[in-house]
Amino acid sequence: MPASRMWRDHELKESYDVVIIGGGVHGLATAYYLTKLGVKNIAILEAKYIGFGGSGRNTAIIRSNYRTPEGIAFYDHSVKLYEQLALDLDFNVMFSQHGHLTLAHNERGVTGLRERAHTNQLMGIDSRLIQPREIQELCPMMNVFGPQRYPIQAALYHPPGGIIRHDAVVWAYARGADRGGAHVHQLTEVNDIETPNGAVSAVVTNRGRIKTGIVLNATAGYASTICDMVNIPLALETHPLQAFVSEALKPWLHHVIVSSTLHIYISQSDRGELVSGAEVDDYLSYSLRGTLAFAEGGATHLLELFPFLANVKMLRQWAGLCDMTPDYSPIMGPVDEIKGFYITVGWGTYGFKAGPASGHLMAQCIQSGKTPKMLEPFLNSRFLRDQLVGEKAAASVSH
Amino acid sequence: MTDHGSTEGHSAGNGVQFTFDGQIVRARPGQTFAGALHDAGIHTLSRSFKYHRPRGLFCVTGRCPNCMCSVNGEPNVRVCTRKPAAGDVVKPQNAWPSVRFDIMSIFDKMHRLLPVGFYYKTMHKPRFMWPIFESVIRRIAGLGEVDLSNGGSEQYDKLNLFTDVVVVGGGLAGLNAAYAAAEAGADVILIDDQPTLGGHVQHDPGSIDVHELAVRYQIMAHPRIQTFVSSTAFGLYEENYVAVQQGNRMIRIRAQQTVVASGGWERPYVFENNDLPGVLLASGAQRLLQQQGCKFDGPIVIVTDQPIGYRLADQLKQKGMHVAALVDLHDQPQGAIEGLRVLAGHTIQAASGKSHVTGAAIVPTRGGTMQTIPCQWIIQAVGFTPATSLLYQSGCKLKYNADLDQHQVTEWAQGVHSAGAVNGYHEPLVCVKDGTRAGLAAANALGLLTTDLTKRLTQLESEISQSTRDCKPTASYISNSKDKKKFVCICEDVTEKDLCDAIDEGYANIETLKRYSTISMGPCQGKMCQSASIAICARHKGIDIEAVGTTTSRPPEQPVPLGVLAGQAPHFSLIRRTAMHHWHEEAGARFLDAGTWKRPERYTDPHDEYQAVRKGVGLIDVSTLGKIELRGPDVVKFLEFIYPNRFANLAIGKVRYGAICDEAGILLDDGMICRLDEERFYLSTSTGNADAIDSWFRWWLTAKPQWDISMTNMSTALSGMNLAGPHSRDVLRRVSTGDVSNEALPYPSVKLLDVAGVPAIVLRIGFVGELGFEIHVPSQYGLHVWNTLMEAGKDFDIKPFGVEAQRRLRLDKKHLLPGVDTDALSNMYDADLPWIVKLDKEDFIGRWSLNRIKERGPKQKLIGFKLEGTTVPDEASLIVKQGSLVGRVTSVRYSPAAGSIVGLAWVPIESSKNGDIIDIRHAGQSLKAVVQDDPFYDVAGERLNS
Repeated sequence: MPASRMWRDHELKESYDVVIIGGGVHGLATAYYLTKLGVKNIAILEAKYIGFGGSGRNTAIIRSNYRTPEGIAFYDHSVKLYEQLALDLDFNVMFSQHGHLTLAHNERGVTGLRERAHTNQLMGIDSRLIQPREIQELCPMMNVFGPQRYPIQAALYHPPGGIIRHDAVVWAYARGADRGGAHVHQLTEVNDIETPNGAVSAVVTNRGRIKTGIVLNATAGYASTICDMVNIPLALETHPLQAFVSEALKPWLHHVIVSSTLHIYISQSDRGELVSGAEVDDYLSYSLRGTLAFAEGGATHLLELFPFLANVKMLRQWAGLCDMTPDYSPIMGPVDEIKGFYITVGWGTYGFKAGPASGHLMAQCIQSGKTPKMLEPFLNSRFLRDQLVGEKAAASVSH
Repeated sequence: MTDHGSTEGHSAGNGVQFTFDGQIVRARPGQTFAGALHDAGIHTLSRSFKYHRPRGLFCVTGRCPNCMCSVNGEPNVRVCTRKPAAGDVVKPQNAWPSVRFDIMSIFDKMHRLLPVGFYYKTMHKPRFMWPIFESVIRRIAGLGEVDLSNGGSEQYDKLNLFTDVVVVGGGLAGLNAAYAAAEAGADVILIDDQPTLGGHVQHDPGSIDVHELAVRYQIMAHPRIQTFVSSTAFGLYEENYVAVQQGNRMIRIRAQQTVVASGGWERPYVFENNDLPGVLLASGAQRLLQQQGCKFDGPIVIVTDQPIGYRLADQLKQKGMHVAALVDLHDQPQGAIEGLRVLAGHTIQAASGKSHVTGAAIVPTRGGTMQTIPCQWIIQAVGFTPATSLLYQSGCKLKYNADLDQHQVTEWAQGVHSAGAVNGYHEPLVCVKDGTRAGLAAANALGLLTTDLTKRLTQLESEISQSTRDCKPTASYISNSKDKKKFVCICEDVTEKDLCDAIDEGYANIETLKRYSTISMGPCQGKMCQSASIAICARHKGIDIEAVGTTTSRPPEQPVPLGVLAGQAPHFSLIRRTAMHHWHEEAGARFLDAGTWKRPERYTDPHDEYQAVRKGVGLIDVSTLGKIELRGPDVVKFLEFIYPNRFANLAIGKVRYGAICDEAGILLDDGMICRLDEERFYLSTSTGNADAIDSWFRWWLTAKPQWDISMTNMSTALSGMNLAGPHSRDVLRRVSTGDVSNEALPYPSVKLLDVAGVPAIVLRIGFVGELGFEIHVPSQYGLHVWNTLMEAGKDFDIKPFGVEAQRRLRLDKKHLLPGVDTDALSNMYDADLPWIVKLDKEDFIGRWSLNRIKERGPKQKLIGFKLEGTTVPDEASLIVKQGSLVGRVTSVRYSPAAGSIVGLAWVPIESSKNGDIIDIRHAGQSLKAVVQDDPFYDVAGERLNS
């Protein structure tokens, strides 16, 4: 017997209560939580296929050991939702909480991690600074004491951190939204948003016009293009971020390892592939082509931590787009300029780990018309109020 | 000339011995592991990814996953293309206890419980079960095992080349492309992944004239062609940047033009049990037969819709092998060979056998009775999928062509050409023409063609466009039976039914289908399954193949070892040492890493070093500071624009502290700016930001092309040392002929002096809060000047001091360190540098933001604090108010001068006034500190000015 449909195809209706642009984790999670709040007449518009963008290109690391109290509270909410997600959505999203280690190779790095540990602990997050000997015990195969250009001096250890099957999260939210009554429209591209009298009235797509009073921009890479349609400038720069996977190997690495000095992070999936990525490329671009320089640099740094991987092969490299804000924090909530226009954008390199929290809070925000307290620090107006949420110092490799 | 690379071993006359799963196997000279294993009758080489089914040689070209073994601890080696060395230890993967009997093959029996994506639907309820299941999964997942004891002793290197034309693929098309381009005058590099040139004609000469083969010998001798065999072009990156793996070497080629003549991957036919050992692709069988000297014992059934199937039958018969039947999918036989049983209009439904083929179930294509032909080998020849990965990578646009049943380039990326089988030409003579055409086209793009050659190119283009293509595919990929075990993806054990089920569940987009079913995500990256999966998707959805689209092809084209990508880099990490480094070593310095630099952190006790500077004299190496010289009539304009400070009024011979901010008013860096002359400035940056500031300056200089400025980065050209302390002038006097009196060189000023006989830039500045001189001299004299100063300072008990002492000294003066005391959100006002910002200046970087920040007033502030007691809190300690985080400590030390603990901290503006009490949390304790506006030492600055 064939299993039941995950999500169905629909004709575009003439009007929806809420139109969500972007079929990634943010858009789909928002739709799912909205249906749970009783808002069911929802369209999710995805230009390609669900999970095409950042949701399918990220390296699926989940953690909450951020730097600012605002960030920590928010990402902790997300981790808690992730922990329940498989049961909530009855879909095994394979959340492996094997622990997350951020390495420091110099004094300044250690100080930065210590500050995070202090702040995390103050906020009740399981996070602490550990010394090289304990790092070696946790990860015996890592080159901790061997020759290294920048010897490891300490690490921030975050036991609840881990990895997840990112595509599964997208599909599970899509199914949840579909079952709640929302329409997932793939291959549906938004060309215009109509806002007479300063309020959203309709969305024009390649498949026709939809009347609606509420639009959520939940896109990445093209977040500013969508906001341009309603003349809202965003404080974003779009950078590519690259990653690669190795051939499948019998699992030997269970932690997520991050090093900002080496510009690398690595984990091993349940399939056995090593997944590794870097910081965003330092140039602005919409290009999704991988570069050789990235593969070379990534391999070099990986071999510093794990020299025995020299004969292990890279299978595939790719790039995704990251919308970077000046403070490395996202922009969420309603905008002051246009009634009915909401955004959840600027997700930089930390979008996937935030998906459930962003969806959950944006749904509350849209359904109630009030901004939840946890969202307030992330409003777009913070840039004009000059009240940034400074995650940047902590986020030089922010995975 | 031909480069075989290091892996191309020349075996001794008697061949070599290696072991496979403990069994000794002998390889004849020139044989690969695969040929030797085949000869030894070892046909099960591995177990499959999901069901642990036995797998044997299949493609024999290094594409499919079936022969992946561990060789001497290296995981996932395709043994079909590697040659053994004596004593090599080959172990099968993903099997326990042995590849012949693998306990995990129980999964094959349980397949009904393990449908596509079963792991998404199970194991998560109740919640505590998942970690238990997962730990089991993590014990059995994956293929090869990493050799954790591999010490990384292999040598890897990189070769960089530049050329006019790169030709990828040494088959007929590639050979002729290379030859044509070289003859036209281009320098050519020809790359082929096989040990010998020639491509398919080597084992399947077909209709090709032997004279054409001779071309390859001419090519190997051609002065303008450099050839690399056993070399895989795995990436065609932006701007014709070609990445090639040759054994342990990576060759990086910058080409003006690239001709991709990569041929095709033979396409498997999908039928029941199509993954059994004994089922092979035709080109694989040909390679074993013609190149490895192997035999096929027992009857053979060939399944084909191509001429190659008949040619193979002929080859097999000529070598005395028994072809039991040739099954032709076409209604009319496409050939005839004497004594060959041809079953036209038939197809294969299933392979029978448990661990090896024992028979082939054959049915008429239009339905009818099945017959089973006993056989040991089933060889399939149903056409080729063009090897388009590199073309996709390069940005070419491809479209499905129904006549050819393949995707074809419709739009070429700049400087990229394609030729031969990737274009759909399989007829050898057409490949020769198409190759020549592509070679000429590449030469034409370089402007190399004579009138005659241009005519020839036009002529070839028209001939090729009119040529008919011999490959008449039936576009069949899949037998009609309904059994589950028809493998589309042999890497990941994905069956036809899996794909159909996934589509029914809603994973209908080809990309979503790929991610859910994991088809094409395994070691072959879709080379084996791409055509069939697209065809199944189209058929099941009832749409055209064109409408299905393709999945994105990403580098690398073939998996590349990380060691090859890294090269020698892990052993060559940059270490920068100053000119005085060895002196520091001999003096017993402990070093710290400051970016790529090594700096003395301390020589002895930092407390003694601190006291030497406060009471006598000390010397610190500051060579790591960034140093930039700017000259030209517009330098003042530039400085006024880039700094919030004012520089127009800086007199010649004066120095000013400056800080740089970005557009948002965020502090980036600080340093000293010296005016050496009307149009000549010299400035320093911090060590950590030297490169960033250099880029920042260059960026803005580019943005202001109208300004006449020349910029020279002097960072490594000059050594710097800071002579500081009450006796520093006494020391300097002894080694300089210049006037260094307070009148001649007051604080803060700069002079070009001679120091120890060396021309030096001497800055009278005081970062550490004492009378002091920063001396910058050409690096080659750095050690000499240092030694001379140390010698001259002996009478004053001069001591070298390190970074730690310097930090304590500067903290006494509340001098901030950008990046330590500030972060990516610290603006000039909050960082307590308002006196630097001149908002009344004309535009400068950050002016708008700083104006705004000033209007709204500061929210937080970097303050100095004093703390009584003996507990020195950590740097990074939090400042807490009523249980909430309100700030943090950035620097803290015990200060002998202040007689207490002092530090810098970020606090909210309401707690930032002189005398305010702040609550520092340290190790669960609450420490009360007092905010202090004044520096902790020499408030009036008398010592600086002395």
